Amino acid sequence: MRIPLEWLREFVAVPADASEVAHKLTMIGLEVEAVENLDNDVVFEVNVTPNRPDCLSVIGIARELSAVYNTPLEFPDHDILAETGELDFNVDILDKELCHRYAGRIVKNLRLGASPEWLRNRLEKCNIRSINNIVDITNYVLLELGHPLHAFDLGTIKGRRIRIGTPNTVKGKGAKVVIKTIDGVDHEMPGESLLIWDEKRPIAVAGVMGGHETEVSDSTKDIFIESAYFDPASVRRTSKALGLKTESSFRFERGTDIKMLKKALDRAAYLMKTVAGGDIHGKIDIYPKRYRPAAIIVRYERVNEILGLRLTKKDMLNCLNGLGFEIETLPDRLKIKPPAYRRDIKMEADVIEEIVRIYGYDRIPAQLPKATIGTEGNELKVRSNIKQAFLKSGFTEVINYSFMGIHDIDMLGIDEKDERRNSVRIKNPLRAEDSLMRTTLIPSMIKNLVHNVAHGNKELRLFETAKVFIGRNENSGLPDEREHLAALYYKEKVKALYKDETHDFYIVKGIIEAVFNELKIYDYSFIRSSEPFLHSGQSADIFIMDEKVGYVGSVSPAVIDVLDIKAHKPAVVVMELDIDKLMPYTMQVVKYRALPKYPHVERDTALVVDSSIEASAIVAWLKSYASDMIEDIHIFDVYQGKNIPEGKKSIAFNVRYRAAGRTLKDEEVDALHKSLVDYILDKTNGQLRQ
Amino acid sequence: MEDPKQTFLKELSSANNLSELANLRVKYLGRKGIITERLKSLSALPPEERPLQGKNINEIKESIEADLDSRESRLKHEELKKQLLSDSVDVTLSGKFIPFGRPHPINKVLSEITDIFVGMGFSVEEGPEVELDYYNFEALNIPKDHPARDMQDTFYITDDIVLRTHTSPVQVRVMEKRKPPVRFIAPGKVYRCDADITHTPMFHQIEGFMVDKGITFSNLKGVLEAFLHRMFGADTPVRFRPSFFPFTEPSAEVDIGCILCGGAGCRVCKGSGWLEILGAGMVNPKVFEHVGYDPEEYSGFAFGMGIERIAMLKYSIDDIRLFYENDIRFLRQF
Ligand SMILES: [Zn+2]
Repeated sequence: MRIPLEWLREFVAVPADASEVAHKLTMIGLEVEAVENLDNDVVFEVNVTPNRPDCLSVIGIARELSAVYNTPLEFPDHDILAETGELDFNVDILDKELCHRYAGRIVKNLRLGASPEWLRNRLEKCNIRSINNIVDITNYVLLELGHPLHAFDLGTIKGRRIRIGTPNTVKGKGAKVVIKTIDGVDHEMPGESLLIWDEKRPIAVAGVMGGHETEVSDSTKDIFIESAYFDPASVRRTSKALGLKTESSFRFERGTDIKMLKKALDRAAYLMKTVAGGDIHGKIDIYPKRYRPAAIIVRYERVNEILGLRLTKKDMLNCLNGLGFEIETLPDRLKIKPPAYRRDIKMEADVIEEIVRIYGYDRIPAQLPKATIGTEGNELKVRSNIKQAFLKSGFTEVINYSFMGIHDIDMLGIDEKDERRNSVRIKNPLRAEDSLMRTTLIPSMIKNLVHNVAHGNKELRLFETAKVFIGRNENSGLPDEREHLAALYYKEKVKALYKDETHDFYIVKGIIEAVFNELKIYDYSFIRSSEPFLHSGQSADIFIMDEKVGYVGSVSPAVIDVLDIKAHKPAVVVMELDIDKLMPYTMQVVKYRALPKYPHVERDTALVVDSSIEASAIVAWLKSYASDMIEDIHIFDVYQGKNIPEGKKSIAFNVRYRAAGRTLKDEEVDALHKSLVDYILDKTNGQLRQ
Repeated sequence: MEDPKQTFLKELSSANNLSELANLRVKYLGRKGIITERLKSLSALPPEERPLQGKNINEIKESIEADLDSRESRLKHEELKKQLLSDSVDVTLSGKFIPFGRPHPINKVLSEITDIFVGMGFSVEEGPEVELDYYNFEALNIPKDHPARDMQDTFYITDDIVLRTHTSPVQVRVMEKRKPPVRFIAPGKVYRCDADITHTPMFHQIEGFMVDKGITFSNLKGVLEAFLHRMFGADTPVRFRPSFFPFTEPSAEVDIGCILCGGAGCRVCKGSGWLEILGAGMVNPKVFEHVGYDPEEYSGFAFGMGIERIAMLKYSIDDIRLFYENDIRFLRQF
């Protein structure tokens, strides 16, 4: 809301300069967002919160200043000196719940024309375009007193009759009612929206916009000015339904001053007579639903309990006195009735805010409450551990929007029955590509890849932890929100100072194993995956015990092909983990085990086996050999090629033997190892590598 | 008899490596070495000459031993030097390393804030991002058809389900689960149907909440001032001014003195010298009524802040969209 200081000073003699006034307003809850210096004036840009429609006017701001500076408020001139004739007009309020008061005046023989300089000037300072003197005056009064008015061309109102009612009331339920508003648009009106009607037809959408057919035009001489109070929620519903937001609806839906509306009407008539020389006729004022505020009890003790202050009754009254409340003082409490323009004051807490607002927030001492020890909770700690493992492994964290489009899921070739197609749809997305909530983090990761490669970034280690949203719960209607972690690894094959022949797949797999190691999860396994968007020969599903918790693998060349990546086809490894599923396996208590007292003995052996036999099978077989002296088994070499027959591969493994209570003898280890080797040769149908 | 020392010294000077030196040692001091033989031959001398000759030869022996040892140690030193030289690397080449990853700046700021509040006795709670209208609005005293809904452009899933527009619904969910006292923060993602240079459709907030017997506005100021001083420095001015949130009453907007211009006024603070950083207030009794807390027995405060704004101020970032482009040249700066 733009407020010129010079206009303000007309109503309150503020004993302060512009910057002090701006500061004062800010500190009582009317934040001055900007101060604009003009030639002879200063305009404040005041941010008025939705609870304070009373401050959407010059008089409203002046009223606040009059309270804080304890200076009287002057009302603008609105005396109607001579009224010509009676109002031969019939007004019926048919829906009294939606229209609490309706007043109007007829002004005749107006000379429509350009507005005088002073009027145009003030409107311009408030960023309102001047149209003609009649429309300008309704806007002027709106800015000055905060009350929206509407001027009809009297000659176009049929039957000298005004009715206020909804289509349901006037025409009956189901009747089709259309009105063309002054912006030239035809609106079919919802049955419960409030309209203004003449004898025959709707002539305005109450509180929102006037009708095209009764609009003031260049030939208008006589007008009917409307000043009314419409139910805020009703105006808001209608404004939303039509998608029409106006200065008028903005104020009505926040709540206008039902008592001010008569002053506003007279002020407008007065100004029209002054500016456009009209004859003011009699007034009609129908007020079926009077403003009768309930008394609010405010306990002195409660005020201090909530604020942490020790205010006296007198302090409190000093704060409240300028605000227009009707106050009754009792020994332990106040009984307060707020004025019609303060419908936001409904309960004790609202009055407490008024007291402290005027008293000054800055005068409240800052005092810490008694402290206890806080906690992050176990889940957050585990998540933080997982993040740390990725950070230490060189992965940089990204945050993507939680949105995706159906295209993303199609691109991954995800099956029709897959739960990742069971996504949550946004009714009003900003873009079609962002109309679903993510069910997997991979599409975002791939977008990060495309962006970064396009900007010449040649090595990427990225990860993200975020929620995915699956399905909808039958009872709550809410989706299942699961915490996922996804990572992407990409390295352009360029000449490097130091050679690293490790396959990209193992780099990412290694990090997953490091994470499991960090979380002390041991019962995991990697089993060839059938995710449709992964390279079938370089991908694995990740299991803990028998539960699938994620997958890792190279992105399928078919997916890479359709990406907007120029020049080369990159090798990209991705992984995704359901972190929530890891939780039950991580809560192990650490218990110390004694270090071994006796030395170990190691033996290495290389086998030649069918190349289809996977390493995990060999390790599993070796581990199935019953001996309590085998401490550890690991594979240290896999080789295919020269000296190894076609269709075979060489696998070398190392076994570490140790006995708990003594030193092992070489001969005994030799015998044990030979037996183990025989066992594995039998299982794999393999041979010793020569 | 000729003096073996002279020949020895000549030979010693031409022994240029450890094996030649070892040969020399054998030649003179070995079991059949020249000096050893001399010592053996002493027994052939007349008894009166033996002591003198013996002393003589022993002196030569000791001197040769000393010379050999010293030569050996010098040669060893030289050989080590030669070996180190041939094993040397170009220390100016860069080392082989994988730089640690970086946390996203938003999460970096988020955990910094979380740590401060955990230190002040707050625990950490979470709530769903796809939320019922009831928790996001109704229970927070924002009824349908209320203009306060305009403060937040909402993404709708159905008429009753929204993407949460703030982290405040966590208040209600926690109060439904637990009796007072409660004291927690709730960090997380929130969504608004808005996108331009200063708005992204998704961003992050931290909600703070505390309810107990006798909690006052003064306590709210205490907690937030302590937090802001830890976050932005102990000298940072803090200002509370009245504002409006449907779920708090009284409500406050909390400003800090502009950290960029020191309060003199600049583009970022729009010349005011102040930066709006937090919304806060005393919990509205109507919110308590929704969850069955007795507002006569308990009072409390709530506050909320946007993380992007704090991160932008902290790192002087001028375009909020950079956070969600995820360009590693940006991300690796934090
Ligand atoms: Zn500044």
